Amino acid sequence: MNGNHVNGELLLFLKQDCETCQLVKPVVGELVNKGVPIQVYVQDDPNYYRDLSPLDDTSLKASFNWNIETTPTLIQTSGNGHSVRIEGWDKSGWQKLFGRKSLGSTLPDFRPGCGSKSREPGVYENLVANYGDSGIEAREITLGKWEDEMETCYERGWTDGLPVTPPTDARIWKMLQGTSRNPNEIIGKVPPNLAPITVEKAAINAVMAGCKPEYFPVVLTVLEAALDPIFTMHGLLCTTCFSSPIIVVNGPIAKSIGMNWGMNALGQGNRANATIGRALQLIIRNVGGGIPGDLDRSTLGGPGKFTFCFAEDETDPTWESLSVSRGFAEGENAVTLFQGDGIQGFIDQRSQTPEQITKSLASSLLAVGNPKLAEFTNALLVLSPEHYEIYKKEGWGRSKITEALHQEMARPGSELIQGANGIGEGIDPLRVDEMVNKFWPEGLLIVRAGGQAGLFSAICAGWTGGRFRHESQPVTKKIMV
Amino acid sequence: MTTSVLRDPTAETAALKRQRLNPPADLDDKVVGLMDIGKMRGDEFIDRLEELFNERNIETRRYKKPTNTRTAPAELIQQIVQESDVVVIALSDCGSCTSCSTHDLNDLDHLGIPGISILTEEFKEAFAGQCEKIGFDGASIFTPHPMQNKTTKELHEFADNIIDELLTKITHTN
Repeated sequence: MNGNHVNGELLLFLKQDCETCQLVKPVVGELVNKGVPIQVYVQDDPNYYRDLSPLDDTSLKASFNWNIETTPTLIQTSGNGHSVRIEGWDKSGWQKLFGRKSLGSTLPDFRPGCGSKSREPGVYENLVANYGDSGIEAREITLGKWEDEMETCYERGWTDGLPVTPPTDARIWKMLQGTSRNPNEIIGKVPPNLAPITVEKAAINAVMAGCKPEYFPVVLTVLEAALDPIFTMHGLLCTTCFSSPIIVVNGPIAKSIGMNWGMNALGQGNRANATIGRALQLIIRNVGGGIPGDLDRSTLGGPGKFTFCFAEDETDPTWESLSVSRGFAEGENAVTLFQGDGIQGFIDQRSQTPEQITKSLASSLLAVGNPKLAEFTNALLVLSPEHYEIYKKEGWGRSKITEALHQEMARPGSELIQGANGIGEGIDPLRVDEMVNKFWPEGLLIVRAGGQAGLFSAICAGWTGGRFRHESQPVTKKIMV
Repeated sequence: MTTSVLRDPTAETAALKRQRLNPPADLDDKVVGLMDIGKMRGDEFIDRLEELFNERNIETRRYKKPTNTRTAPAELIQQIVQESDVVVIALSDCGSCTSCSTHDLNDLDHLGIPGISILTEEFKEAFAGQCEKIGFDGASIFTPHPMQNKTTKELHEFADNIIDELLTKITHTN
């Protein structure tokens, strides 16, 4: 581990803030007094062990280089890489190593040690960055001594308008520990510039978005879904429409990483919800070059272009989750990306039967895009628990609800053709005699989410690119943790 | 404060420095803001620049920073943004004023006002270094150094000598 040491050397790592270290202090003192050459390293207060002529390792560099996880750790070095290592106090081990049967005879046989300071939260990644090889290959941006990191990120054009976490090596390395994937692996090409993106670049942007490492597998899967050609991220980014990816997370990982599917699920305040969606947007901006006003040509944009990500409420076993309805196994972690706009609130506080609430929802869903457009966009319905309860008490599940909504939304073509009712917009006049569905059978996605109180659901209109039914579709992908 | 190293989150297809805004194709109906950073004698140089612009029927507007040792107050930057189309910042002949005026140039560029900084030759490297640090490909013109011990006539000659280059650089992309 450390080339400066010769075969057979004795090294001991201690800290003052460790009862076991304090326990062995007299033993080590006895050895030192008898001329046994032990090099003591102290992680916190060298003065406390001054009788042992210690080296100051408050920088933790030696502890890092020797990969110390516990104090005390006693090491007998070896040229062949198989050094002897005793962690904590092990009387027989110490006696054997020093060849002294009476060593520490008044002490207990064993005492576990304490965690090494080099392994404390927030420390190790900084030691990797300072003394190790982080393996990070992205271009370095060296700041001036007095430069503000946050302002630099703005200056460089790396943010969405909100502050980002400055991407330092320590943070990036830590993010990369969230996945077993190779940092050099190329995930795909990010539009609009179709620039290749590696796992490392994704990690840098995930850091900036504010993600924790445990979110990173979700971010990578979200990215893969976005780059699936059928998702048409290129068009979605460059469109003049309002739309952007809406991300729904399914499976136990949502709970594991603390996502919100309850109160305010579509709003602010949850780190995982906020940052996973933001990571994708920052990747599109920074790696893909999707800059608003440049190649992002949205007429008005929408708040979802900052981030729009939430989990589905899977706590009710009567509800089939979105990912299961899209062919994934129950209990499987998955993300679904939908090309959609911000929300249109749906309010119904009086309907009491499934039939009533279906008619009510259908009438609102018909407004998606334009009431006179049909089979033109998809839609995402976020069904709140109280609205679902109306269905549930009569035994209606996902498929029955979906089917009933489609039936309720079918309308005579004569009402929808261009010019009908004095409105220019509308469907092809050739369909005047047809009964026309609002959405294709696969075009209405339903997710259950929201707080337990409130007869309010939400409709997210789909992007107009969805009119090319077989060319642009929502995408669901399994998360590889 | 310590020196930090960040990692580039982009595809690294572009240069590290942000390109400055394209200046207008010409100065017809444009207002050129003349920003005096507040160094002694700088105003004499700018007086002559103003004459040279006006002789060419180019409208100018004068601004002055309270001190060359700080970046311009936000109010002044905002006033320039409201009133001018292009900015000429002069005349930097020291380290702190070079650093501060480069930030001013960058801030104005961010707000849609392309510009140029005039400095003395001694501060060529300082300007390049500051541009490097803030990642901005700022435009510049250099006059002889030192300037503070020159006569007014000599300072006017400095202005006369750079006016053609100045007009070219604030009306062309390159």
